[in-house]
Amino acid sequence: METIEQKLKILEEKRKTVEQGGGEKRIKKQHESGKLTARERIQKLLDEESFVEIDAFVEHRCIQFDMTETKAPGEGVVTGYGTINGRLVFVFAQDFTVIGGSLGEMHAAKIVKVMDMAMKMGAPLIGLNDSGGARIQEGVDALKGYGEIFYRNTLASGVIPQISVILGPCAGGAVYSPALTDFIFMVSGTSKMFITGPQVIKAVTGEEVSPEDLGGARAHNQKSGVAHFMSQNEEECFDQIKKLLSYIPSNNLEDAPFKETEDSPVKILPELDNIVPVDPNKPYDMKEIIKMVVDEGDFFEVQALYAQNMITGFARLSGHSVGILANQPRVLAGCLDINASDKAARFIRFCDAFNIPLITFTDTPGYLPGVAQEHGGIIRHGAKLLYAYSEATVPKITVITRKAYGGAYIAMCSRHLGADQVFAWPTAEIAVMGPEGAANIIFKKEIEESNDPVAARNEKIEEYRDRFANPYQAAARGYVDDVIEPSTTRVKLISALEMLMSKRETRPAKKHGNIPV
Amino acid sequence: MKKYKITVNGQTYEVEVEEIGGAVPIKEETPAPSTEKPKEAPKQETPKPTPAAAPAPKKAVPAGKATITAPMPGTILSVKVKEGSKVSKGDVLMILEAMKMENEILAPQDGIISSIDVSEGASVNTGDLLATME
Repeated sequence: METIEQKLKILEEKRKTVEQGGGEKRIKKQHESGKLTARERIQKLLDEESFVEIDAFVEHRCIQFDMTETKAPGEGVVTGYGTINGRLVFVFAQDFTVIGGSLGEMHAAKIVKVMDMAMKMGAPLIGLNDSGGARIQEGVDALKGYGEIFYRNTLASGVIPQISVILGPCAGGAVYSPALTDFIFMVSGTSKMFITGPQVIKAVTGEEVSPEDLGGARAHNQKSGVAHFMSQNEEECFDQIKKLLSYIPSNNLEDAPFKETEDSPVKILPELDNIVPVDPNKPYDMKEIIKMVVDEGDFFEVQALYAQNMITGFARLSGHSVGILANQPRVLAGCLDINASDKAARFIRFCDAFNIPLITFTDTPGYLPGVAQEHGGIIRHGAKLLYAYSEATVPKITVITRKAYGGAYIAMCSRHLGADQVFAWPTAEIAVMGPEGAANIIFKKEIEESNDPVAARNEKIEEYRDRFANPYQAAARGYVDDVIEPSTTRVKLISALEMLMSKRETRPAKKHGNIPV
Repeated sequence: MKKYKITVNGQTYEVEVEEIGGAVPIKEETPAPSTEKPKEAPKQETPKPTPAAAPAPKKAVPAGKATITAPMPGTILSVKVKEGSKVSKGDVLMILEAMKMENEILAPQDGIISSIDVSEGASVNTGDLLATME
């Protein structure tokens, strides 16, 4: 019979084996490819000494092919919980050194367990993905594993924040767990995501593309819009995750964390009075306005490289976390298009699900014209923006800095979609369309019959501009709550936000709406 | 066996044509997509009977080179640089008037302008080449 001492020794050895993962050689290889190991990643991401591992001794039960002899310490994934800045989070980190981090039945079971726990405890779930894909030897059991993760991603959506970090390959069906979560972080040179890799694409369509160009951090942050954050290395990536968490609550029943600030809530910003150019055809940088208005000039942009005509991100106003959306006149004239609508709608829905008030800055001439946009479905994509804003019951405040024309005026959180407060700057032009287009239609006859149609047209454009390209028509109807001096924007926003903190809005009970996805 | 009568320069030839075997599928080097994991590149040469014509392989732009294309339809209001100009990332290369806005077309990287492909006053469509640089 074993003595207690021997039993403890066995435990120690077993634990050591698990902690070794795929062994020294493979760890060395992981490091050589510029990657940390699963355990190192968790150490760096979580507060020091806070990580508690669960399911370290789980083993696979596959007897197919070579699997009876194959040992997979920890089943290729490290799972558990810990804290980030003192707040509870659940985490799983796939271990590429253990049979390529491949996902089998028990590997998935470990992930599923922490997902269930995160949901019960109402804490964020962070998944560090670094896996070769399904463990082929396990056949349909591996597929079942993916399916059960997808199912829980969906159940947890809108209940706890789910964050996916791609720190290696993530190919085939494996990409859909991250895709179902709220935010995807990628690291340049390390992260790869695709449904079909370069080899298959070459074989099928003849297109030649490198893995990085196809599914690297830049491709997904800039072109596809799949990812939300890009970093140069893993440390920077973990800092971004911590920063993101500082703006969002741990679950849908909590309020977002409040952060004391030295920045005065009654600060007047004289620079804002002159930031919008007198000539409505001249662009300016909307981000400058945002940075001046928010606490300490700290604006944390989400999807900074994708659909840059629409700005989305987090900031604070007098310590309260807010989600900011804004048109960017510097890119595509600030037009709404397919990608901008998708980007904004998804961000709005995240904020609404997690009780983060929405601040919208409007300067858009309208929807982007073009056959590609129409055939790409701008009608259904644009509808998402209307839907998301209308559906959101968090405090909604809008500032119209300049152009707010036609359908785009309605879409950018107008009072008609439920905005609680709409402010307009004196430079605002709120009308059914721009002066040039409107004059051509309304005064068509006068212009045609005039002796000098060009002069007549210009005259009519000016007439229209004077009468309608201002905020007072809308203010006269109460569509704009107040026309404000730009310099007072921060003061007005904070006052309105604090007034709205007790906002309650109930909607008819329903299973769920049918957003035009 | 089919017989054809062919006339060349007034001279008539009688030609017999024999069909050998069944219908020969049009050969295309397009293997079927593999349902296997891409652990090993699909090697099986299963020629598909004429799928949609495979697009020509796209060549990536050589490293260091950059093409600047029109982000939306509009008119080139002014061109701020010349061929051979040295520019830094973020410099204004030209102004594209579109949607009643003077949109700045910025240099995507540091480098030298190798060609200007539009002139002032030109109308451009989304994706039209405006300039190249390296």
